[in-house]
Amino acid sequence: MIIYVIIVLVVLAVWVISIYNFFVSSKTRIKASIQEIGNQLKRQSDLIPNLESSVKGYLSHEKGILQMLSDARKLISTGKDASAKIAELLPKLQVVVESNPELKGNTVVTNLMDELRDTADKVMYARRLLIDLTADFNVKRATFPSSIIAGLFKFEEMKGLETSDTGVHLSVSELETKSPKINL
Amino acid sequence: MKNIYEVQNANKIKSAIVVVCFVVFVAVTVYVLSQALGYYWGYDVGGLGFVGFALIISGIISYGSYYFSDRIVLTISGAKEASRKEYFDFYTVAENLVIGSGLPKPKLYVINDSAPNAFATGRDPKHAVICATTGLLDKLTRTELEGVLAHELSHVRNYDIRLQSLVAVMVGLIALLGDWLLRASWFGGRRSKDDNNQMGAIILVLGIIFAILSPIIAQLIQLAISRRREFMADAGSVSLTRQPGGLISALEKISKDTEPLEAANKATAHLYIASPFKGKRGQGSVGWFSNLFNTHPPIEERIKALYDMSNEKPIKG
Repeated sequence: MIIYVIIVLVVLAVWVISIYNFFVSSKTRIKASIQEIGNQLKRQSDLIPNLESSVKGYLSHEKGILQMLSDARKLISTGKDASAKIAELLPKLQVVVESNPELKGNTVVTNLMDELRDTADKVMYARRLLIDLTADFNVKRATFPSSIIAGLFKFEEMKGLETSDTGVHLSVSELETKSPKINL
Repeated sequence: MKNIYEVQNANKIKSAIVVVCFVVFVAVTVYVLSQALGYYWGYDVGGLGFVGFALIISGIISYGSYYFSDRIVLTISGAKEASRKEYFDFYTVAENLVIGSGLPKPKLYVINDSAPNAFATGRDPKHAVICATTGLLDKLTRTELEGVLAHELSHVRNYDIRLQSLVAVMVGLIALLGDWLLRASWFGGRRSKDDNNQMGAIILVLGIIFAILSPIIAQLIQLAISRRREFMADAGSVSLTRQPGGLISALEKISKDTEPLEAANKATAHLYIASPFKGKRGQGSVGWFSNLFNTHPPIEERIKALYDMSNEKPIKG
């Protein structure tokens, strides 16, 4: 008889410990996930200005080339005798075109967009982890029978990603129900 | 529309039911076969000695392929490691999903094959490997790739590789025991004449029926588990990305592609995002029957389940 009581007690103790450990380790992981959001935001704020300046540098260089090309075209289309100016422009153009066998503005901008999307995704996923971990924690905290342990050790509800519970983001305005149009 | 938590819970329960069925089936089969074997070979303890022996053999075979699963599959498939520069989307999407799921970052490999497919392997999340074909990386957009990689990462998170390996050990065990019993019955039992009671006869008949049928049934349940885990990984993918649309259009693209994957073999088929063996599927009852032998549920069913999780409606056409 006593052996059954002991077995039940041991099983119970193991269960209590595992639930307690779930709460404690979740709390630690939630804290870590908050730091991860900060980490990703920092990466973003370091990355974007650098990307911006390098892409700008490249594009301004390419803009110069395009400017020269369009100048030359304008001169020709005016029909006036612009041979003197063209003669002046041609060697410059040749140098530019020879040193840039292909203009890469397109891929540079694509890469920039990729990096921007990636960094936004990283921050989003960092927040997703926080939301998921707090949801797991709070569900366990509120549901029976783990709620007993949460009550016993006074585990507070975790806040997660704090979003104001009043304001415009809780309602949809007439304008927002329509699909946005893009004008380029 | 069902919410993702309901879907995940339902999947967990269904998966548990299939696994419990499998365990019960294995237990009953092993018992019957060992009784029959014991009867043949006059081993009164119930033939549990044979079971232990069969378990060890089956275990050794599967353990090797399980423990070294990451390395074996990679050498078979001829994969090379993916770099951030060369496969920007693949690398960064995996990186982001890892942030979102809180798992360690798996190793990423690319197979040079134009058939779009991907798989995950490795014995636990720390040794996980996710592998994609160049065809997949070329054909999918970033959002679609996100759905596929989240599906693979869910396999890793659900310990599906471990589950499938354990199941494979059990299927191997039953196959071995059944085989031994059938071999023994060719030569006739040592005790079948002097111990002529009814119980013995019943056990023998039962044993032979089980020896013939159970390897097939065990494999069918194994495949049912595999299909159930696919649904689970799909739901896991949605819970991570919250964009069922990405996985839906990825699955549509993959199913439209008719090219079979060269590197695939039967041993690794259940790991892929979609069955690497492409063929014409039957209709109606034939389709239902052939579905029993598939590692993956039909793509239409998976897409339907995904639409149930999203608020979009499938486009008929």
